Amino acid sequence: MGKVKVSGPLSRRPDNSAFKQQRLPAWSPALSAHTLLPLFYGIAVLCVLLGVWLLVTVQNTHEIKVDYTSLGTCERCYELRKFRENSTKSCSCEVEFEISENLTGDVFIYYGLINFHQNLRLYMDSRDDTQMLGRKKNLQAPSSYCTPFDKVDGVPIAPCGAIANSKFNDSFILQYHGLGAPAPIPLFRKGISWYTDENVKFRNPSTNDTFSLAQAFQGTARPVYWQKPVYELDPSDPNNNGFINEDLIVWMREAAFPNFKKLYGVLNRSRAPFKQGLPAGTYSILIQYNFPVEYFRGRKELVVSTVTWFGGKNHFLPIAYLVTGGLVLITAAALTAVYLKVGKEGKNMKEL
Amino acid sequence: MCKFLRYFFYKNFAFTLVHFWYSFFSGFSSQVAYEDWFITLYIVCYSSLPVLLVGLLDQDVGDKLSLKFPKLYLPGQQGSLFNYKNFFISLCHGIFTSLIIFFIPYGAFLQTMGQDGKAPSDYQSFAVVTASSLIITVNLQISLDTSYWTFVNCFAVLGSIAIYFGIMFDIHSAGIHVLFPSAFTFTGVASNALRQPYLWLTIILTVGISLLPVICIQFLYKTLQPSVGDKVQRNRRKYEAEEEEKKKPTPFQRGRRSRRSAYAFSHSQGYADLIASGRSFRQRPQGRRNPQESIREAPQAENI
Repeated sequence: MGKVKVSGPLSRRPDNSAFKQQRLPAWSPALSAHTLLPLFYGIAVLCVLLGVWLLVTVQNTHEIKVDYTSLGTCERCYELRKFRENSTKSCSCEVEFEISENLTGDVFIYYGLINFHQNLRLYMDSRDDTQMLGRKKNLQAPSSYCTPFDKVDGVPIAPCGAIANSKFNDSFILQYHGLGAPAPIPLFRKGISWYTDENVKFRNPSTNDTFSLAQAFQGTARPVYWQKPVYELDPSDPNNNGFINEDLIVWMREAAFPNFKKLYGVLNRSRAPFKQGLPAGTYSILIQYNFPVEYFRGRKELVVSTVTWFGGKNHFLPIAYLVTGGLVLITAAALTAVYLKVGKEGKNMKEL
Repeated sequence: MCKFLRYFFYKNFAFTLVHFWYSFFSGFSSQVAYEDWFITLYIVCYSSLPVLLVGLLDQDVGDKLSLKFPKLYLPGQQGSLFNYKNFFISLCHGIFTSLIIFFIPYGAFLQTMGQDGKAPSDYQSFAVVTASSLIITVNLQISLDTSYWTFVNCFAVLGSIAIYFGIMFDIHSAGIHVLFPSAFTFTGVASNALRQPYLWLTIILTVGISLLPVICIQFLYKTLQPSVGDKVQRNRRKYEAEEEEKKKPTPFQRGRRSRRSAYAFSHSQGYADLIASGRSFRQRPQGRRNPQESIREAPQAENI
């Protein structure tokens, strides 16, 4: 029986297929008590177990925060940095803190900022990713999104934009006081950014043996708030100089919320007494205090932390799981009571 | 159709209000909480197909049972499936979901870092986590609303989630960033963020908290105040067995198409005139006597 083209009033009849006549084979699940209640009890038990496990994991991480904005000798630097004219004067201060128990494993050092909104729309748009890829054309002609940080006196800025301009420039030397004289703690200052950021998103303009990085950046100016141009960020290491400087990359990865921390360095555990991590004791930080925070009523802090597979010291998720498990258990109990009372023999169950 | 409308409002409220909550933390600068491409593709690509199929194919009660129980027309007459109250409930549901989708990742991102210590709580990871939880939540929500599961529905729900992850990994790849640096700036985020176990735990918790109250409320309604459709559905097998026993020829000679649609206009005059005047029927040859003719109300040409 072939397909006959019917003309007349029946020619536009839909096909007698399963899809068009809504006869597809299907499953019509009914939400019944004997599937739902065991499911809820199971979910409650799972949530509580997961919450307990995560809580135990989080308790095994240790975090020490030192708010050094105006602590001790840094008060003087804080006052100094309130005025723009002092921006070329250097200021350093020292802050002491205690670590009460040994931090075993890898130890990470972060700098934290409070009340610094890296998530403002205009701020986040103020960057030129094409320039950061090292494209020559964009070095000389930065994107218009960077205004007013794209040119200074007619000379294009590299790297342009407000994000690069406000790069965090405090530097720290941690010292351990447990061996008599304060001993500086060795830190890895590379390998602190994402692999894709370091190798894909940020690239220097091309150089070779005869064409140095400084020459590649000729014709551009440093960002207005910087003290050094971008090709002098780390002259000792060509893999950390220019756009691929890891501190710059870490800063350019904007934070989601106004209170954030960014990785500064990782403990170098190759030599004693840091082979197991950071031993307990007195520590001090020598800070080159450059970043002014008074304008936006912000604070600065240094965070020393260990991490586990779950991340750092964040109690929110374990407690959320425990609370959810508890609520689901209460709900399941209530639903069981409702079902037993009304259930199969209730007045609403009368069939049609 | 009403399910389609309710769900559409719900998913768009859930999607949009997250920006509202985020603005409290971004200095009210109207910074978007998702990636720009996600916003573009959400309505078209990631969440439209399942609900479209529900609008087209869903049947809460089969066609034979619909004919047997005329009471099933009551919800249509009373307009009880889509009215101001239902819209308001949709809105509240969307608000609740958006609160969960924003604040659970917010809490998880407050003071945390990845398992290798890098990139603690950056904006792009947050955008990916909220977007992923949103997609999984709304797609599982439509699956809770579907009462007639065909393989097309399954394919649409799982396919939408799969398309989302597929496109996201493509957009976040290194290759496309090198080609279009300013357009695709989320390089490497999907692979870095979704590698972290605590972010997956966040997504699972968000989806769970969004959906469990809905299941609970649906169960309570079905137990305490079942609608006509629920009652028929509960004893469906029994009724279908009864139908099989007394199989009778269908009154209409046209195909076995379901007579009941969501557009039952039994509260207004409808199209009775069109049918009753006989204009829509093919003229029969004279002298033919079919048993079906007895149900026609108006006299036909051959009867005069």
